[in-house]
Amino acid sequence: MVAVLNKKGFKLPRVEKEKFISLMHLGLDYNREQGLFSVKSCNNIEKLMDTIGSILNAEVVFLQTCTRCGKDFPCSNCKYNELCTSKDLPFSCVCPQCLQDRKQYEEYLMKF
Amino acid sequence: MKNDLLWVEKYRPKKIEDIVGNEEAKALFVEWLRSKRRSKKAVLLYGPPGVGKTALINAASKEFGFIVIEMNASDTRSEKAINKVAAPATSYVALDNFSTRSNGNVLFLDEVDGIAGNEDRGGVGAIIKIVEDSLVPVIMAANDPDIDKLRPLKKVCLLVRFQHVRIPLIIALLQKICLLEHIKAEFEALERIAQNSRGDVRSAINDLQSLSEENHVLTLQDTMGLSSRNKDISMDETLRGFFSVKSMADAQKLLSYSSVDYDDFLLSVSDNLPKRFTNPGELAAAYDYVSRADMYRGRIGTENWHLLKYFFNEMAQAAAVAPQSYKPFELISPPIRIITLFWTKGKRSMLDGICGKIGAQCHVSHAIAKQDFVPFIKEMLQKKNAAARIAEWFNFTSEEIDFLVKMNKY
Repeated sequence: MVAVLNKKGFKLPRVEKEKFISLMHLGLDYNREQGLFSVKSCNNIEKLMDTIGSILNAEVVFLQTCTRCGKDFPCSNCKYNELCTSKDLPFSCVCPQCLQDRKQYEEYLMKF
Repeated sequence: MKNDLLWVEKYRPKKIEDIVGNEEAKALFVEWLRSKRRSKKAVLLYGPPGVGKTALINAASKEFGFIVIEMNASDTRSEKAINKVAAPATSYVALDNFSTRSNGNVLFLDEVDGIAGNEDRGGVGAIIKIVEDSLVPVIMAANDPDIDKLRPLKKVCLLVRFQHVRIPLIIALLQKICLLEHIKAEFEALERIAQNSRGDVRSAINDLQSLSEENHVLTLQDTMGLSSRNKDISMDETLRGFFSVKSMADAQKLLSYSSVDYDDFLLSVSDNLPKRFTNPGELAAAYDYVSRADMYRGRIGTENWHLLKYFFNEMAQAAAVAPQSYKPFELISPPIRIITLFWTKGKRSMLDGICGKIGAQCHVSHAIAKQDFVPFIKEMLQKKNAAARIAEWFNFTSEEIDFLVKMNKY
């Protein structure tokens, strides 16, 4: 089973105190009001994903944020998936649609 | 080159938002730099080369009005040297701090993972002391933070990890450069350059420039030569090509496509020049160019790669001193100096062991033991009545005694 998460906010089942502390140490942040976890630091991202995976009992993949259109999209849509060294990690990227669309790109450049 | 300015320099990010990729790392670093009350006084940016660590530091410092005081790998970073440069820079809050334009100094130590060896002795300890006492932010960058030497340093730093820049982001950057340089590039060509760069933005821009500045059209076909850059062209192949070139342009092209280690290449060229140029006048001219290339190599160090074109230029001139006089010859490779070091490794470690024993007994350093004690001990060991007592006192093994007695040079 694959769990697709959004780094800006996702829910996890209730975990023990030690596990919660370990998640915080690994780079997660917790918003008490909304009850959502978010990724604060990516220094230990691989280990963090393993830990979340063990809590959810599923393979964890994160959505990517497109730097041009701002939409979130999964790595599975990307044709460079196999070559990417940071596949499924919660980083910014350019979505396949924006990458191919030259007109949209020129409009994007005009913003600067 | 048609345009003297390298594109990596021309398009060096001036603002934080110009840096492609690693958004999360950028945000973390910027938050730390802007903060008035930093939880850690130092930050260590780490990750592979060409992903924007140094560019981010320079762009962010400029944007937030910091003056960067930099010590990089080409400087000696011993305890003494660090204290000389970094201590004054970090122990006072500059008067600039009170002006509206400047926020004061930041100390930037680039390639801290390169602090090693005797030259940089005490360097890491000195940096930790500086970080603890510093009144200004201390920023460090490294490619490999996992080396043992940096472990104590990591404890006092906020760690910010950089990843390889993703292919779509590199393609987007190349598209931008093509637009600004009026280059009509096929998408597949940019795709190929980005894939070949393996996440290194600097090498992708260099590839784009080398492939497209001749004519302003870039096709997938043009990028086919790129495979040879990543393919290992052996030292032998490069040397053979180098000595048989017909012109400077050929030599420059060969050097830009080869991925040999430049230091080994310089030594090999130097070894082979007398075989290539039999005429003394030609040989002297070639050595003159090679010596200048060596000077540029020294200035390049590990980060001033914008000087590489001057290195290539001098080497190409050396190769093209007399193209008409070329006759095939048997190459000396690898360099004699490296072969010598390889063959003498056993002997050197034996001598090191002996010097260690002398040092321990006589309370002197290895260097003093080697220079002042070994010649006399060698003489004494040749006298039969004293040899046994001396060997016993120093606890020399029979192999060590044999080595000392037979050695000619130390």
